Amino acid sequence: MKIRYSFALLFVLLLTSCIKDELPNAECDILSAWVEGDQYADIFYNKSQMRLENISASEKEVVFTVRSLISMPKKLPVHFEITPGATIEPANGSEQDFTKGPVTYTVTSEDGEWKRQYAVAFKELNLPTYKFSFENYETVELYGNYYHEFYEVDQSGTHHNIWASGNSGAVLVKTDSKPEDQPTYSTPNGYAGRGVCLNTQDAGSLGHLFGKPIAAGNLFMGKFILENVLVDALKATEFGRPIDRVPVRVTGYYKYHPGAVFTDKDMHEIPSRTDEASIYAVFYRNKDSEGKDVYLYGNDVLSSPYIVKKAQVASLPPTDEWTRFEMFFEGDEADTQILTSQGYNMTLVFSSSKEGASFEGAVGSVLYVDEVEVSFEELETTDAS
Amino acid sequence: MKRIIIISLAFFMSLLLAGNTFGQEKNKFFHVIVRAGYNVGGTAPLGVPATIRSIDSFKLTPSVMGGIDFQLTPGRWGILAGVHYENKAMDTEVTTKGYRMELVKGDSRMEGLFTGHVKQEVTQWMLTIPVMLTCRLGNRVTWKVGPYISILTDKDFSGIASDGYLRQGDPTGPRINMGDKEGEWATYDFSDEMEDRQYGVAMGFDWRVTRHLGIMTDVNWGLTGVFDSDFKTVEQTLYPIYATVGLYLAF
Repeated sequence: MKIRYSFALLFVLLLTSCIKDELPNAECDILSAWVEGDQYADIFYNKSQMRLENISASEKEVVFTVRSLISMPKKLPVHFEITPGATIEPANGSEQDFTKGPVTYTVTSEDGEWKRQYAVAFKELNLPTYKFSFENYETVELYGNYYHEFYEVDQSGTHHNIWASGNSGAVLVKTDSKPEDQPTYSTPNGYAGRGVCLNTQDAGSLGHLFGKPIAAGNLFMGKFILENVLVDALKATEFGRPIDRVPVRVTGYYKYHPGAVFTDKDMHEIPSRTDEASIYAVFYRNKDSEGKDVYLYGNDVLSSPYIVKKAQVASLPPTDEWTRFEMFFEGDEADTQILTSQGYNMTLVFSSSKEGASFEGAVGSVLYVDEVEVSFEELETTDAS
Repeated sequence: MKRIIIISLAFFMSLLLAGNTFGQEKNKFFHVIVRAGYNVGGTAPLGVPATIRSIDSFKLTPSVMGGIDFQLTPGRWGILAGVHYENKAMDTEVTTKGYRMELVKGDSRMEGLFTGHVKQEVTQWMLTIPVMLTCRLGNRVTWKVGPYISILTDKDFSGIASDGYLRQGDPTGPRINMGDKEGEWATYDFSDEMEDRQYGVAMGFDWRVTRHLGIMTDVNWGLTGVFDSDFKTVEQTLYPIYATVGLYLAF
């Protein structure tokens, strides 16, 4: 045995001695971005918004949320942490004019072979509308696969990517697929104009291999963090975006048809269960006691202690006709002071399989959603005055 | 199957040792040589690619070899041919940076550059037919060189990519983190892409210690890659390069 071990050791030594020098980095990501200096603090709601940490590698834009674009200085410097060895153009920390819209930064990898472009923007928090008609979508290509991303537009024409879905995760294991092949897509057959189609799919052989056998169609206010899709799938859905008013009610239209066979996360049939759609909204505090950002994820979106109010549609009976739904927020009162310092987030979630986050549901369940409207306390009082 | 061969070889050898009734060894024209050995080596690219940053573990595998050779020695020079049944296995763990890999299962496919931990297992049970030129160097030592052909009977090339991340497509592609447990890591299996035959050259020495018993050492250098030539996922051509150390009985 000793001889064998020493032979093995010799071989490892031989191999190890041929380990080549490390190649320069090929990646070119913005890892974090921040604005420095007290003189700029006033344009933000609070200091934590001056720093954007853990920017997802699938992100194409870096967005700072500001109080008001009008109060922004003509030029200001943004600092970046990028992949080690990479370079950024325009220069890191140089003063740029963000008042005319996003500034494009190009990051070049250390080995010089790869480049990524990021749109860095300062945007106001508030949308012109909380009536979502889902008319705006963009077709994104990812290695021969195409999928839709929904966005909203404000009066100045600025795009707000407030909607996220698991599409980028679903296409990981696909080849040459079309937008209509994905779990979430824009359909021309909405209640009015275009609408959203969400459908639960078989995630293919690789999905099964990873213990994620189905992909439910989902659309939610927040971000889909692709990085986490394998390691911690529930952390892939980051729910919520800041909101400066207190939601009261959500209305909209839906159609639903559950798939025939309900299966658990191991793809075992559960004959006693029928798939259900889910539509809900959550209003929650976005800062912990130390002032750190709080987001809700798939594991705690309906149970987090930071939740102030939530609204859920009690049941969504299967129907082939567009049917109106209505849900009211229930819970605690919002704190005016927290509200004015942007301390609350809201999310709105649609899914073709209620337990889709735990990979339970029925392949073939289809939910259509359109003309969703959120109404607010503040707006109602404004209307009355 | 392999266990039976090993046991019967051991039995055969002990029988020979016990009996020891064979005649004069030297200057004999025809020899039958029974061999048992252990293969150590790797199925690896010639030169470790720069995307492999460290070799973290290299475990012993059941890479045994048993076989029978027939040797003709009309003079100093001779010729040898035989059949060996052997395993050229490898069980290694490496740390990679931007190593190209592809996961394929059924209709699904995921391809990109992996940075992290790779646990690689190779099993290659094969029947090897060597044809060698032999040259006697003095009384006890014989030098051998010649080509061989191996026919694979059982093959496995699979592994696990964990504790790291995959950049899909290229270094600017989406990043997917991989964890350290099942469901969070990626497994791959390229067994079906392996060639059924391998060709190579072998060189070695037989060193006779007693009248019948000797020590052998061979280097088996694969000249063809272990994968089908149209299989591109593993960028480097992997050659089976193994050394055999063992004992033999000649009579």
